[in-house]
Amino acid sequence: MGKIIAVHSYKGGTGKTLLSINLAALYANRGKSVCLLDLDFRAPSLQAIFKVSDSEYWMNDYLNGVCDIKKVLRDFSTTHVKRGRFFVGFANPSTEAIREMSAKDRKWEMKALGRLLSLKTSLLNDSGIDYLIFDTSPGLQYSSINAIVSADVVLVVSGMDVSDIRGTQRMIDELYGLFEKKTGLIMNKVFGEILLSKNEKQELSKKLMNNFNFPLINMIPCYCDILRTGGGTLFATENPEHPFVKILDGVATTLENL
Amino acid sequence: MSATGRRLEGSETQLLMKIRECLERLNEKMEVLIEVQKHSKREGAADLPDVLDVMTLLSLPDHLRKTAVTLCKLGEATADKVAEQTKRARAVESGYLNQLVLMGYLKKERRGRKAYFCVEKNEEAEK
Repeated sequence: MGKIIAVHSYKGGTGKTLLSINLAALYANRGKSVCLLDLDFRAPSLQAIFKVSDSEYWMNDYLNGVCDIKKVLRDFSTTHVKRGRFFVGFANPSTEAIREMSAKDRKWEMKALGRLLSLKTSLLNDSGIDYLIFDTSPGLQYSSINAIVSADVVLVVSGMDVSDIRGTQRMIDELYGLFEKKTGLIMNKVFGEILLSKNEKQELSKKLMNNFNFPLINMIPCYCDILRTGGGTLFATENPEHPFVKILDGVATTLENL
Repeated sequence: MSATGRRLEGSETQLLMKIRECLERLNEKMEVLIEVQKHSKREGAADLPDVLDVMTLLSLPDHLRKTAVTLCKLGEATADKVAEQTKRARAVESGYLNQLVLMGYLKKERRGRKAYFCVEKNEEAEK
């Protein structure tokens, strides 16, 4: 039986999309069948990274009940990963689609939850997908909570600023906890100099785990070279020896066993 | 003689099954009545939202949220099936499911001896 991982954060710009894509690529490069879905309907971004300008069907259509999930998925197995299978479902980036998605009523959101929950059967059980990864919208809004409820595991990404840490702490206590979700946390874009000293790193980890009760998996420094790379290939596939990829590989293993 | 005995045994079992079925129905009706009484005392009960979306799930008390999320996952299920997932007693789940029906979040449908619960899906049928 496969696993659904929702990648979420309290604030925007924490690196959810970058982590989602590379986590998905790492699992595929381990020979797994992976499906990555863009559930950030307010700010779709996977289509820009995978250089997809148009699609017959989007994730929006799947949630609207217009089509089957298989019509949405695009296969990048031969171009973006070395082994395994790699499928991506894109959210419609047009302004009209974003506006339409933000005006949905509660009944629609209830049905969307049902359709997300049914992916466990259609993709994991029937199509043999090993990992289904949701790249979600930040904060507490319908699309992200729907994704969290449908997931088996939540990977939370937080930056180092106080507002992000406090918000993340609230979500751990009042959102993931209420839905009894297994949760792992990544502190992202941590200042490089902190990670230079092992003692300092250990001290910070301890502080985050004890003071905030964070289920910390690892801390990732800010690597500017990742941001400089183009969207034609995936960083984790092209740079398996990069420290960022090594850290994320460890995160992938932890999530596998969570 | 022994054949007559078996027939008698068979009819006794049938009778017992019927009594059990009636008792179960009676029990469910009593649970509903208790809940109706509880809600009629509460002011503003009519304003309760009737859509089982994630915001409603968040606002439910823990014990009901577990039942509601499980039913969302199953789509449609009997109290037995829900109890299997939540690892709580069938009678407990039956009570919680009936409570959610009364709150307007779930629909209940009786088919033969079994009661099926589902998330409201009128609009699906309209399609």
